[in-house]
Amino acid sequence: MTERMTNPITKLWWAQIRSVIRLEMKKTFFAKRGLWVYGVALLPVLLFIGYTVANSHQRDRSAHLARQNERPLSYQDLTAIKSGMTSEEVVAMLGKPPIRFHWDEQRAVERGESVKVARETYHYSDGSNDLYLELADGKVESVNFRDGSNIGEDAIMFAGVFQFFFIRLAVFFGCLGIFMNLFRGEVLDRSLHFYFLAPIRREVLMAGKFLAGLLATCVIFVSSELLQIIAFTWHFSPNMRDLYLYQNHGLAHAMTYLGVTALACLGYGAFFLAAGMLFRNPILPAGAILIWEGINPFLPPLLKQFSVIYYLKSLCPVSVPTPPGTPPLFAMLISNPDPIPGAIAVIGVVTVALLALCASSFQVRRMEVNYTTE
Amino acid sequence: MNDRIVLENVSKFYGEILGVNRVNLSIPAGITSLVGPNGSGKTTLMNLLTGLVRPSRGHIDVLGYRTDEAEALFNILGYCTQFDAFPKGLTGYQFVYSYLRLGGRDAERAAQLAWRAIERVNLVDAAERNVAGYSKGMRQRIRLAQALAHDPRVLVLDEPLNGLDPLARAEMIALFRAAAAQGCYVIISSHILHEVDVISDQVILLSNGYVVAEGQIQSLRGEIQEHPAQILIRCNRPRELAAKTMECNQTIAVSIHHDERGVLVKTRDADGLYLMLNQIALNGIEIESVAPADDDVNSVYEYLIGNDEVVR
Repeated sequence: MTERMTNPITKLWWAQIRSVIRLEMKKTFFAKRGLWVYGVALLPVLLFIGYTVANSHQRDRSAHLARQNERPLSYQDLTAIKSGMTSEEVVAMLGKPPIRFHWDEQRAVERGESVKVARETYHYSDGSNDLYLELADGKVESVNFRDGSNIGEDAIMFAGVFQFFFIRLAVFFGCLGIFMNLFRGEVLDRSLHFYFLAPIRREVLMAGKFLAGLLATCVIFVSSELLQIIAFTWHFSPNMRDLYLYQNHGLAHAMTYLGVTALACLGYGAFFLAAGMLFRNPILPAGAILIWEGINPFLPPLLKQFSVIYYLKSLCPVSVPTPPGTPPLFAMLISNPDPIPGAIAVIGVVTVALLALCASSFQVRRMEVNYTTE
Repeated sequence: MNDRIVLENVSKFYGEILGVNRVNLSIPAGITSLVGPNGSGKTTLMNLLTGLVRPSRGHIDVLGYRTDEAEALFNILGYCTQFDAFPKGLTGYQFVYSYLRLGGRDAERAAQLAWRAIERVNLVDAAERNVAGYSKGMRQRIRLAQALAHDPRVLVLDEPLNGLDPLARAEMIALFRAAAAQGCYVIISSHILHEVDVISDQVILLSNGYVVAEGQIQSLRGEIQEHPAQILIRCNRPRELAAKTMECNQTIAVSIHHDERGVLVKTRDADGLYLMLNQIALNGIEIESVAPADDDVNSVYEYLIGNDEVVR
């Protein structure tokens, strides 16, 4: 690298690229027409902040409830309660419930007759997990257990938000907003000639603009992902957080999510840079690429490889299981039946991005400044 | 290396709309003016010269450089466009400085060149203000500063005097002349003919995308045979001179100048008239001066194109 940078032409190009990035930074970060990108990036952060707030509130309630128990309860104590047990057995095992409701219910029986049933609900907690019992005539009828610290379920929820909202929609449309404007925005502002009149190779200009866009999207979306991870783990107790991060691959997953986000910015950025130069109306290519990415599971193996999501799916650290009863078509969209090794997936995204950049560099050479036709 | 700017059979079509057609030019150093009414192809020709648009046909060579090699071309060429848009949020200084940095110059050199160019266009006081707040004249001057900043050998200036006050116009004209005197190729488009007349070494007349004529004004005028030459003769006895010139067969019309101190003669044989004047001078009429009255751009343009859109 150092040897290459001492080459005068490489040094010149690098200096020019840095100049372009400096000029583009303000536009990519603070352009009025791109402010919505921040909204899209912050949406999942808000979602996880909301989730954390709700969980914290719930945990406080559980802790408050646990303090009212006759004696300290454990997870095993709560899970030992089964349907059919009597109220006396329950009280013997768990003590008097800190929250108890009771009422009478008229329950319909044969021939329009009804009988009176004494109903009760007991609510116990061990400080993080809650147990809701419904009793009828002194016998446990239903047991509802709310697991307050199911890291596995939380991780799957996080993976679902990451794969199906953050990458496919937030990063996708964010890259559309930033990368398509790199050249289209200049044409609309009638300022592209400023760059085209400078002694700079068009390909170098394009590289500078692309890197500026990549820097902006990476900062915005990788920061967003980082904030999501922080918000997601915020409600964990310190012990749970340590357990998740260091013993349950949480830290490795977090790093992978950040890397996949950066790769998504690279892949979609390159696609939209090319689209911004080839099309005047961004809606058409955006719709086409969105559909192309969406139908990826149904494409023949060869065509699948010309897609960003094909590689990103394989890089995601947690796979989202298909819920039972999901329609086959939707299940196919969720599942990843043919994952590819991580290294190949990374090379795949980079190759797809390079192909798109090659198309852009060909197009940028052919671009003319002709604002009147826009 | 080629010492001319050469366009060979260059055509540019925007879809079905003609920009310029079959343009063949060889432009030497000095000030060359592109003259023509709106839509005649002046800006298209300039955009072609600077690679902002590509020719549909033909070949362009700017002192040996191809127009699609921006990295080389714009080291020797500066273009002051008519596009009145600037990258957002830049001050005048930043506009020129950023342009120089894009060329790969280091910060110190770029700052030095930027300030020098800004001084040349007299915009130092406003240099640190945002371009968005500039008046039309100031925007024009900062564009000129950008075009001049890297001391290009070729200056392409699209209506460079637009929006400038008379003093600034005079300063800019002096600037262009100085550049031309140093061997620069200064190509100016204008539809204000008296300005073109004052500053141009040669003109290129354009009409509807075609080059109608090119060359020095005087030689262009000489080539227009169908229009008689107009010659103003200053003398002490204009009426007597008028009678004498009417005796010449090639004289078409004679009129006394409105100040009664000269005669305006229209003739198909200017050389014959000059010989005749020698005889007349010998016969006692005191001739103070003899000068062509229609070898300016205005007349040439009117003869060749006859368009009223051009401002005189």
